Amino acid sequence: MTIKQTNESEKLTLALSGRLDTVTAPELETVIDTALGGATELCFDFTDLEYISSAGLRVLLKAQKIMNAKGKMTITGVNETIMEVFDITGFVDILTIE
Amino acid sequence: MVFTLILTALYNAILAVLIYIAEKKTAFGRIGRKKKQIIIGILFGAMAAFASTSIAGVDIGDGTIMNVRDAAPLCAGLIFGAPAGIIAGIIGGLYRYISAFFGLTGAYTQLACSISTMLAGFIAAALRKFMFDDKKPGWIYGLGIGMICEVIHMLMIFFTNANDPSTAFGFVKVCSLPMMLCNGFSVGAAVLVISLLGKDRDAVQFGKRHISRTFQTWLFICIVVAYVLTSTYTYMLQSQMSNTETETVIKTSIDDVNQDIQDTSDENLLNKTNLIKSDYIASNNKSEEFLQSLADKYNVAEIHIIDDNGIIVNTNVPHYIGFDMASGEQSAEFLVLLDGTHKSFAQEYRPQSYDSSVAYKYGGVALQGGGFLQVGYDASEFRADIDSTVKKIATNRHIGENGFIVICDEEWNIVSEGTDYTGYNLASLGIWVDTEKYAENTIFSTEFNGKPYLGEYEFAEGYYIVGVIGEEEALFMRDVSVYLSSFMEVLIFAALFALVYFLIKKLIIDNLTEVNRALSKITNGNLDVTVDVRDNEEFASLSDDINSTVDTLKRYISEAEARIDAELEFAKQIQSSALPSVFPPYPNRREFDIYAQMDTAKEVGGDFYDFYMLDDSTIAFLIADVSGKGIPAAMFMMKAKTIIKDLAESGLEVNDIFTQANAKLCENNDAGMFVTAWMAIVDLKTGVMSVANAGHNPPVIKRANGEFAYEKQRAGFVLAGMEGLKYRKTEIQLSPGDQIYLYTDGVTEATDKDDGLYGEDRLVDFLNTLADTDVKSICEEVKRDIDRFVGDAPQFDDITMVSFKINFIKGDNKLSFIPGRDAGVAVSDFAQQITSKLDVLPKISSKVSIAIDEIASNIINYSKAKTAEISYSIENDKLNLTFEDDGQPYNPLETEDPDITLSAEERQIGGLGIFMVKKMTESMDYKYENNKNILKLVMALNS
Repeated sequence: MTIKQTNESEKLTLALSGRLDTVTAPELETVIDTALGGATELCFDFTDLEYISSAGLRVLLKAQKIMNAKGKMTITGVNETIMEVFDITGFVDILTIE
Repeated sequence: MVFTLILTALYNAILAVLIYIAEKKTAFGRIGRKKKQIIIGILFGAMAAFASTSIAGVDIGDGTIMNVRDAAPLCAGLIFGAPAGIIAGIIGGLYRYISAFFGLTGAYTQLACSISTMLAGFIAAALRKFMFDDKKPGWIYGLGIGMICEVIHMLMIFFTNANDPSTAFGFVKVCSLPMMLCNGFSVGAAVLVISLLGKDRDAVQFGKRHISRTFQTWLFICIVVAYVLTSTYTYMLQSQMSNTETETVIKTSIDDVNQDIQDTSDENLLNKTNLIKSDYIASNNKSEEFLQSLADKYNVAEIHIIDDNGIIVNTNVPHYIGFDMASGEQSAEFLVLLDGTHKSFAQEYRPQSYDSSVAYKYGGVALQGGGFLQVGYDASEFRADIDSTVKKIATNRHIGENGFIVICDEEWNIVSEGTDYTGYNLASLGIWVDTEKYAENTIFSTEFNGKPYLGEYEFAEGYYIVGVIGEEEALFMRDVSVYLSSFMEVLIFAALFALVYFLIKKLIIDNLTEVNRALSKITNGNLDVTVDVRDNEEFASLSDDINSTVDTLKRYISEAEARIDAELEFAKQIQSSALPSVFPPYPNRREFDIYAQMDTAKEVGGDFYDFYMLDDSTIAFLIADVSGKGIPAAMFMMKAKTIIKDLAESGLEVNDIFTQANAKLCENNDAGMFVTAWMAIVDLKTGVMSVANAGHNPPVIKRANGEFAYEKQRAGFVLAGMEGLKYRKTEIQLSPGDQIYLYTDGVTEATDKDDGLYGEDRLVDFLNTLADTDVKSICEEVKRDIDRFVGDAPQFDDITMVSFKINFIKGDNKLSFIPGRDAGVAVSDFAQQITSKLDVLPKISSKVSIAIDEIASNIINYSKAKTAEISYSIENDKLNLTFEDDGQPYNPLETEDPDITLSAEERQIGGLGIFMVKKMTESMDYKYENNKNILKLVMALNS
């Protein structure tokens, strides 16, 4: 998995590609911890993300909890497979998917 | 006499041998040098004293004993050491000096003998120290030194008795030759005997050194020639001087006697002449008859009256009338009476001018009024008058000490009184004077009382005056001179010889020896040695030349070394670049780790390692050690490495690789080198490792969750060792987590400063103490431990290690792995491998991925399993996934589903994975069998 990071004033955009699974999820967690800073808006670009496992979901949930307090978090470019995972797990109700 | 002396001479040799044996065989040899010298000095001092006694010497009268005393200190000094010589000399000398006061030894040579004995000790000491390098000299030197010391002894006798040279000479004449010979023989024999006993180990050999031998020989020849020439010249000169001296001494005595006889005879004749003159003047008768009567009265033969013209005018012998006195030499002498200068004149008895067959003695007195009266008579007439006087003239006359003078008549009967021989004919005493052969006043040889005598004679007034002197006495001064000058010359030449020898030794030989010593160090490789002989200009220049040559050589060598170093460094780079040196070598291959390192003892080494992927799922790795070190080993190593790699890449089995590599390496292996090698080919899909070993150290293998231990199989013979060998293959099934540690004998044979080996046990023990078994740290830690063990000792052999670890085994349908830190990657790889094989929609493959990920991460994170395995199969568009692990029993089907309707703040994260898998699979089946959790999933591939 690769993570492409973009900072626009108080908006942090993370574009993910590949697989967000047990192996790669800790990597994303580290990036969020270090890059978020004072950003009030966190945006995930999932256009090139192939799939997500429960480890990935855990990171997203943690990020959502943080952003609920600081501002807002959005996810864009979610593909069918990942959307199904979000459906199955009820994450569609928690996350802001655009 | 000679026999006694020779026997005495041998005493010194006997004493020397006894001391020598005592030194070798008894405790005497172990005492200190100082004590030893003192004891030896005392022993030889006693020997010198003993030699002085009448037991060991030969009495030559006056209680003086001819002996070989001086030889003892010489032997002590020359054979055993300078201090011993000095001590022996002093003891011997003191004994000689003191004993003379008690009459034990002769008083006459007391001082001379004492001094020369002491001198002998000092001379021996000085020669040994300065001429012979504190070693004992060759026997010829001993002989020479012994003789020369006696020359000194003889000179001492002269010098200490300068006021009585005659007695001194008497001693010297008798003693000199036998004492020189005996002392020389004594010292020479002692040195020779000891040299023979000691096999001549430390003797200074005559001519051991070539230069000194040449110098010695020529110096000796020159000195002998010079000695002979000067001695001969001295002898001749002194003989000549002695002869002249003797001649003069005898002649003076004879002349005195002669003069006395002459005076007596002249006085007698002139008395008669004056009486005749008185009678002649008183008488008026001047006739011939009157003159004849006067002649008869006074018993003379002739009376002549000569006028003032020198003409005989009156005579008792008529035929002389008118004879001119000036006409003959003899008669002319009387003319002095005419000129008024003489009143009277007497002539010696001699032939007359008128008739030379008649001998007369004439006398004349001047007449008043001119002319003179001459009277002549013959021997028989005047001898009667003077005989009584003449007989007494030689009385109390001596020539020299034992020479004498006699007066004989014309028949050689001794007439002079005052000797025991008066009345004897001279010839009957043995003194035969050959007047025809020897003129008056010339030296003739004769004998008297059986001894050679020298004599001279004169004839005066009818008497023979003969003086003789003993030849010995006559030639005494010559002999003393010749002896003295010969002795002095011997001394001077000996000193000259020693001095030249010493100078040559000091200025040339010693310096040459030093130069040679330095040169031999240099030729033995020590280029830091400098030659520093600065005694004289020539050697200083030689030293400088040698030093600058060595410096130049050193510079060239260091330049060459630098060049070789640079080339070796370059070779080292080539060698290291030939070995894989980037780690990790395959960053994308998670299923195994490999690490290798090589530390060469020299710049380049004979060890090598290698590894390469033969295909996507096969890795080959090897370690090898070429016999020898350095460049040759490095070159052979490159060859071996290339051949093995070529063969491996052609797809051969590991044993065939070695078999063929051996064949190729045996070709043209004239240098007789060989390689030990261990090689493995690992099938990463099955974990089967095929191993071949060509005489190499066995691998140390750690099984997953086990300990490092030797995996010893029978090894084949070394590569390149023998043609036509076939190698065997051993297969080892590896499991995930297994580790293999390979090394060359530089590891186990690393040596500490006490020559202790690092060894196999220490290696295995150390490996098992390592907490971090990462391939790289294993090698590094072992190397560090070896360095600790070796300390400051130098590294003799190359140290090479290879460490290989298999993390998981990923077959086509199966993944074996250890649920650990890196297992997720393996699982993720395996999931991608499955999905890439399935020709399904991305949505389906994502679900498969999620399912594998979720179950595997559960096993990895929670099961505490040691091994796990994922396998799959496809049947009728269904994917069957099977998960097995040996962790704690856990049935995922019993897990409660999470509440997915809660808000983000309320959501719990656990159980979500299993829940997702449940939703995505057609069926899940769990069982716990054989201590294993077995979970089977079925997923539809076509929905």
